Amino acid sequence: MEAVAALRAAGAAPGLTAAFEALFRREYPRVVGIAQRIVRDADEAEDVAQDVFVAFYRKHPADAGYAPAWLYAAAAHTALNAIRSRERRGRRETVHTLERDPAVDPQRSAEEAESHAEVRAALARMDERAAALLVLRHSGLSYEEIAAALGLRRSSIGTLLGRAEDAFRREVTR
Amino acid sequence: MSEHDIERLMTVAERPVDSESALARIRERIERERIQPTIATSGGSRMDRPLVSIWIKGLAAAASVALIATLLTVSGVAETIITLFEPKTVVAVPITSADLTGAAGLTAYGTLTWSSPPKPYDVPDIATAEKATGMKVLVPSQLPSGVSVANARYGVMDRTTATYTFSADKTRAAAALLNRTAPPMPANIDGSKLFITGGPAVVQYFDDGTAPKSATSAGAFASLPRLIIAQGKGPLVQSDGVTVEQLQQYLLAQPGITPALAAQIRAIKDPSSTLPVPIPVDMATSKTVTVQGVQGVFVGDSTGLGSAVIWSKDGYVFGVAGTLTESQILAVANSLH
Repeated sequence: MEAVAALRAAGAAPGLTAAFEALFRREYPRVVGIAQRIVRDADEAEDVAQDVFVAFYRKHPADAGYAPAWLYAAAAHTALNAIRSRERRGRRETVHTLERDPAVDPQRSAEEAESHAEVRAALARMDERAAALLVLRHSGLSYEEIAAALGLRRSSIGTLLGRAEDAFRREVTR
Repeated sequence: MSEHDIERLMTVAERPVDSESALARIRERIERERIQPTIATSGGSRMDRPLVSIWIKGLAAAASVALIATLLTVSGVAETIITLFEPKTVVAVPITSADLTGAAGLTAYGTLTWSSPPKPYDVPDIATAEKATGMKVLVPSQLPSGVSVANARYGVMDRTTATYTFSADKTRAAAALLNRTAPPMPANIDGSKLFITGGPAVVQYFDDGTAPKSATSAGAFASLPRLIIAQGKGPLVQSDGVTVEQLQQYLLAQPGITPALAAQIRAIKDPSSTLPVPIPVDMATSKTVTVQGVQGVFVGDSTGLGSAVIWSKDGYVFGVAGTLTESQILAVANSLH
């Protein structure tokens, strides 16, 4: 394997391994789903997922046992970074979403866009780990999977999730 | 707001993803940008994970370095079970890349068996950390601007123990792999055991929440956080009777230990209670500082972006590190109470 790394370092053409492709096919939909719960836009979520997989490819072996946990956590944190930097730049995305999503019912579309913006803003203001915890849970991850992704004890998840929900409530209704 | 409301707000209309198109896109990007993996082995490190595991990496690296350094510096008087090493103070030992690549790892001289391997985990707050470790955890009363307790995370590593058994056979085999001949292992070292205890330890990890992280790079959060404060029981090494002068003499005579490194380690005045902090000279600078009223080692990286201070007091080893200036790091260290 060191020989392979040496070959790569020497400038051999990069390429995806079968293990990476299998990992990608297996985990890509879930990684997109996690990112989408945060950025609230399907195209942007796919961009985030691409970045996450590229980052993983750079530094980690595709057959690593921790790969799914790493990808889930990276999806949450990369998406949170994206909305935070956007929140800092201003709230232009409300308009952006309205323009991009011309639903049949304009009023409903406007309401949805507003709710998306609220959720994004709330998640952006929350403590990063709490936000990630909440999103991973609502993306269908089990307590075990969340514990592995965020480096937490399984027994702490319930308590921390409760606190994350409280924080989310405060931020949404503030 | 009810649980149902949260559920509703957190729900998004997931569009079916086309994984094959996405795979083609990433393949094209990797080829176009000639992105290459930097991993050296397929095994990778189990510790090499993002987020809260950043500090685990630091701890693991520090622990393994301290363990090797400890083995190289043991000294004292042999008894049936004797404490060879218990840190009371710290000292910088400059090392070069030749020292790092030349020195064999622990596995070259014997077998390390964990009886309770290190399993770091996160806890919600300091109180839980103190309960889990039985330690009084010192907290900072002063934080640099932008760093807030509100953004702190806490990690705990329980007490860990390991037994290291020297093996003449393994030493010969390791030397043979390098086409070297190791000096013969004295009979009383072959088969002798060291009992190594580390921890418990508590790590406080602060990020300011506004650090400029790239929105497009998941790798960004692999960088140093603003501030890490670590406190732990230092490594304790006990022996089942090996002649320790002989052990030091034997280990320092191994192929790969440069004469300069051996001389520095021999020069440590009280090796049984001095924790050597290896400083890679081409990457970092170090100096002796006074922190919390005792001698500590300040380490600055050569970029000037990060710094750390390490000291030992009241039976604990402390470390404060981060992407902060020397005066900021020392102010945090001195404010611990």
